[in-house]
Amino acid sequence: MNLWRPIAVRGIRILAPALLLLAVPTAHAVPSYARQTGMACEACHTVFPELTHFGRMFKASGYVLDNLKQVKGVTPQREEILSLAGLPPLSLMVMASYTQLATPLPDSSGKGESQNGTVGFPQQVSLFYAGKIAPHLGAFLQLTYDSASGTIGIDNTDIRFADMTILPGDQSLIYGLSLNNNPTVQDLWNSTPAFGFPYALSASAPGIPYAAQIDGPRAQDVAGLTAYAFWNESLYGEVGVYRSAKQGVGPGPLDSTTPGGVIDGAAPYWRIAYEHNWDRHSIEAGLYGATFKMFPDFGAGYGQPLAGPSDRYQDVAEDLQYQFLADQHLFSLAATRIHESQTLNATFAAGKSSNLDNDLTTTRAYATYYYRRTVGGTAGFFTTTGSTDVLFLGNTSGAPDTRGWIAELNYLPWLNTKFSLQYTAYNKYSGLSDNYDGMGRNAKDNNTLYVLAWLSY
Amino acid sequence: MRIGRMTGPALVLALCASVAMADQTDEIAHATARRLAVGVCGTCHGTHGVSELPKFPRLAGQNANYLAVQLKAFRSQTRGDPDAISYMWGMAGNLEDSTIDALAQYYSAQAAGGGRAGDPALIARGKTIYQQGLESVGVPACAACHGPDAHGMGDFPRLAGQHSQYVLKQLSSFQSNMRNVAVMHGVAQGLKREEMSAVAAFLEAQP
Repeated sequence: MNLWRPIAVRGIRILAPALLLLAVPTAHAVPSYARQTGMACEACHTVFPELTHFGRMFKASGYVLDNLKQVKGVTPQREEILSLAGLPPLSLMVMASYTQLATPLPDSSGKGESQNGTVGFPQQVSLFYAGKIAPHLGAFLQLTYDSASGTIGIDNTDIRFADMTILPGDQSLIYGLSLNNNPTVQDLWNSTPAFGFPYALSASAPGIPYAAQIDGPRAQDVAGLTAYAFWNESLYGEVGVYRSAKQGVGPGPLDSTTPGGVIDGAAPYWRIAYEHNWDRHSIEAGLYGATFKMFPDFGAGYGQPLAGPSDRYQDVAEDLQYQFLADQHLFSLAATRIHESQTLNATFAAGKSSNLDNDLTTTRAYATYYYRRTVGGTAGFFTTTGSTDVLFLGNTSGAPDTRGWIAELNYLPWLNTKFSLQYTAYNKYSGLSDNYDGMGRNAKDNNTLYVLAWLSY
Repeated sequence: MRIGRMTGPALVLALCASVAMADQTDEIAHATARRLAVGVCGTCHGTHGVSELPKFPRLAGQNANYLAVQLKAFRSQTRGDPDAISYMWGMAGNLEDSTIDALAQYYSAQAAGGGRAGDPALIARGKTIYQQGLESVGVPACAACHGPDAHGMGDFPRLAGQHSQYVLKQLSSFQSNMRNVAVMHGVAQGLKREEMSAVAAFLEAQP
């Protein structure tokens, strides 16, 4: 799941503070890949979950590089019809956390304040099937128990077919298909939303209240089929489509009672990126985007038939990643700017937005340093700005503007265990610095101290 | 063994079939090796074995026997320098002998990457050590085994054009015996860090 998940509630007219507590961040480090390849985490990760160039190639190649003894089946023509690892590629991830807010949130019944200092034990536990399925087919499949909801559900999933052909001049062309449930979860760089920093956030602190559709709201809410090609380990291109695939809404067809907005038809997704590696450096620059036509969700009792006008969200984003990887010192930068143009045909016609056209822009940039992959940290900023629309956003200011910074210190006694101390500070929240909720709560009241133990094994 | 009238032609046929099968196996191994070299090994070592990343050694033009021995040492987990453990133990864990031999031949047949300029003073110091050794501390001339041009001799590996960072790490691993090679442990024992750096810089500069 994605850190920006709380924003999935956009489209609901009233953003109750309680809804902002839906943040369920996740990140991913999967020791079953290490077991499968026989290689240490450092081959694929700077520090998990950030990928190295080799890690990106492993992912692009379908998670199938396998150095374990295989159960095999071959035809008399030597065609491989089965290649299965002797042991299933399973991993477990446990996150335990403590969250302290600068000012406690109001009690949801209005009887004062809620308790501050929230313990998540576990915050979440994930079971992964992450590894090869067949010679050209592999999976990243995550099942998560989320303590906030008390349920086990499907989390980030990427099942992919990949193959390679050798072009003249011995240049490689990797090509494949990804079946996934979160736009950008299949991406190879850590500058795009699904695997971007912060990799973990508190589940009990207010999150960023508004985000573009590609930036979290559709995570685990869609099924996407994308086709990609990676030429010479440099030039990457991908196109695909996403369609709503709701979880927990029953087996029947989606209809006007479906919560959270439904995609009208299929949403096209595209991605282009160029990566260059030299000496100890790696740099990537790219563009990505998607256009979602959404039937809006006006909240319980306000369902609309899934036909007729829909809102159009066109997301176009740039991203940049730089990595310096040496044995002692590791440094990386990742940044993205996502611009969303909204044409609210359905919402405006229903009188639930002030404007027909809105826009939303999010920019994030982070710098990370590690010493010997053991001690390090990340610092960066985030900002979201956009059109003022009181009816649509349902907040006091009518503006989505939220900005702040985040800093994190990490200690990894072993490569698969991370202990983090993270602080998030807000200068502006939901359009205002002071009294953003009309009840006297200020942006800085949401400043969050988050302590996390994150174990993957 | 006496070959009977009837068994002679049969044996010839069998031999031909066996040669044809060996050729086929060889062809498959070479195709597998090329695919591995371009699609897997090349990510770190460069498509043609001319790695641009100093952490990963250049393999182009390397002695094939040396490469095969190293791959087998990775596979049997007997080569124990840190990057060998983290990367190559897994990577070579499932390689068959025929693939190892084909990979070794593939890289051996590639054109070496050439030398790269470095600090002239360091290179000059390294050249002296490489060619003459350090008699006072019992370090023999490297050239005696690795050749005057550092292109390798017999089963001794080519060092010319190798990344200095890689050479330095290997010398340190020989010294600490993490990479357990008796001859090189003896050679490296007397070397100070700056002397290793000098030899590494000299080797990186060699064509």
